Amino acid sequence: MAVELSPKMQAFTEEVFPAIIGTNRKNGSVEMVPVWFEQQDGSFWINGGTNRGWFKHLQRDPRITLLLIDPKNMWRWAQVEGRMVNWAEDPGGDHINHLSHRYMGRDYQNPRTGRIKVQIEPLRVTGAIDGWR
Amino acid sequence: MAGAKKASALSPAVRMLAALPILVVIATRRDGGAVQLNPVWFELKDGFFWLNSNTRRTWPKNLQRDRELTMLLVDPKEPYRYAQIRGRLISLIPDPQHEFIDRLSRRYTGEKFRELEPGEHRVTFKIQPVAVTGDMI
Repeated sequence: MAVELSPKMQAFTEEVFPAIIGTNRKNGSVEMVPVWFEQQDGSFWINGGTNRGWFKHLQRDPRITLLLIDPKNMWRWAQVEGRMVNWAEDPGGDHINHLSHRYMGRDYQNPRTGRIKVQIEPLRVTGAIDGWR
Repeated sequence: MAGAKKASALSPAVRMLAALPILVVIATRRDGGAVQLNPVWFELKDGFFWLNSNTRRTWPKNLQRDRELTMLLVDPKEPYRYAQIRGRLISLIPDPQHEFIDRLSRRYTGEKFRELEPGEHRVTFKIQPVAVTGDMI
């Protein structure tokens, strides 16, 4: 069951820093990588090329965990355990361009082809933003 | 952003980053396989990563069960420059006099660690880096 983000968490996800995502490799180890994200209507969205390791992992095992941490204050962090509920092509790169504006304040500078956007539903939120749970 | 190169020894760039008082984000797996991510204090010394925790938390339990973890160090000046390090648990060292957690606390806050809570047991984890990937190996 998806969980609803608290007002504090919603405000935290508006802040601009990359999320670190963790996905399960076939061999049982975890792959971690920093990525751009946004939160919309309670879901997290990330974007990548279809050749990215994490996207291949998600197609096999949709579980994904995001770590959000304020790079200026290490005590402000949240862990969001979730799962991929949907993915779609990003024709023309509209979504990556949207994320580029959130993070860089300008149009996306790299090729906008061959990209996908991924919707993640949060299942569990822990960490310091909502208090320890 | 994607780094496909792999190296087993830590490069000077990674060692320089590890000398800073930044957190390492560690990934372990819960019972059932869900990924757990935690930012934690660490020290790189003698080629090993040293972590410390309260034994009641989840990640130490995951780590003791699987004996392996993944660690991510991110350059605080450039958030897409990072090293992903797979590590293996070599040994687990009780820290009853909280000497090591005091040392770690001084590294990050300049002061010794808070008073331990009743029944709180600290333990130190010695981690061997096994493989490094990322944009700064």
